[in-house]
Amino acid sequence: MDSINKFIEKFRGQYIDSDTFKMQPGSEFRQIDSWDSLTGMAVLVMIKSEYGVDISVEKFRDLKTVKDVYDYVKSEKGI
Amino acid sequence: MDAYVNFIEYFLPPTRLTNEMINHEHPEWSADKISSKTGIYSRPISGKNEFASDMGIKAAEKLFDRSIIKPDNIDFLLYCTQSPDFFLPTTACILQNRLNLPNYSGALDYNLGCSGYVYGLSLAKGLIMGQQSDNMLLITSETYSKFIHPSDKGNKTLFGDGSAATVVSSKPIGDLKAKIRDFAFYTDGGGFDRLIVKNGGIKYRYDQGKDEVDENGSFLKNDSYLFMDGKAIFEFSNMIVPSLLDRALMKNNIKKSEIDLFIFHQANFFMMNTIRKRCEIPEEKFFIFIKNCGNTVSSTIPIALKEAFNQGRIMPGMKIVLAGFGVGLSAAVGVLEIC
Repeated sequence: MDSINKFIEKFRGQYIDSDTFKMQPGSEFRQIDSWDSLTGMAVLVMIKSEYGVDISVEKFRDLKTVKDVYDYVKSEKGI
Repeated sequence: MDAYVNFIEYFLPPTRLTNEMINHEHPEWSADKISSKTGIYSRPISGKNEFASDMGIKAAEKLFDRSIIKPDNIDFLLYCTQSPDFFLPTTACILQNRLNLPNYSGALDYNLGCSGYVYGLSLAKGLIMGQQSDNMLLITSETYSKFIHPSDKGNKTLFGDGSAATVVSSKPIGDLKAKIRDFAFYTDGGGFDRLIVKNGGIKYRYDQGKDEVDENGSFLKNDSYLFMDGKAIFEFSNMIVPSLLDRALMKNNIKKSEIDLFIFHQANFFMMNTIRKRCEIPEEKFFIFIKNCGNTVSSTIPIALKEAFNQGRIMPGMKIVLAGFGVGLSAAVGVLEIC
């Protein structure tokens, strides 16, 4: 499993303007201006293809920060 | 023996659907937001009595007009469309007649969408290398606008109508002189209903679709019109294309770094950009031409290939990857090498 920093890089890469802002583990990813449902779709597909974890849309809605998502992926992988 | 892509011409109908027009009908979507997400500013829309066959004719006539190839030189016609004039006969027979192609020619339709052009090149290569043809005419043409429900703003925003004509020959005689190398294919019919026009085929020929709406009254689907599960298509493309690209490169014994230009199906900017990143392709090698075409389905790749050539992006010795993916679900990746 990637470190949280590596995970954040991959997460940030899904935004259309990913080069224009920084992200911390505690960042609330939906608060970033360019966030929209397309970005959400890209994040879910990235997680499925990179980590083999399928997050349901309902579950994803409960996750607020990047670290929440990272921790959930880790727990699904049994780490 | 080898097969070469020699000439390409394309046709876009002059009537346009602009972002401002979409915004006027659907005020919740601003023109700027549409263009920043999709990369599309306007889409060509076929006339009420203008069909895919008519647009295919226009692209082919333009090619005969502008190249050394004349109808008499063609000995085989491949026609890729999901909008045939009739159940039967094959539209390619009608095109043979309307284009004055020799009677001693083969002519057939095949039904594929976004993967259709790459498939067409592989079929053309097979027929040429099997010595069944010397000069093939491959026409791709689609009028998805006729399948789209008036309230379906999502699909309206993405798709444009258009056609392309390509000559593939046994000798490098054209502008492009692109040798057709090897292909890799992927099919998952389990996703057949993720991008579909359900009614009107033989199975549900007389069924009348009903508008289905969500809790806010927004249009969801109607089985008599085009339905696309955007998330499923996005996921399929993003999950499959990177590995299919690797497979195609392996078949061609080429490294990704040796590829000079990547021309992918021009679905929309957001999706192309995500796939590009996932395939680890640098931006400067990834050709985008979608602004005033939209997603013309099977014609996006020949249109982009022609534009890349016109812009001087294609030089002798270059290796180019073509990748098509979508409805089916179906995907194909192939390599061209410029002589």
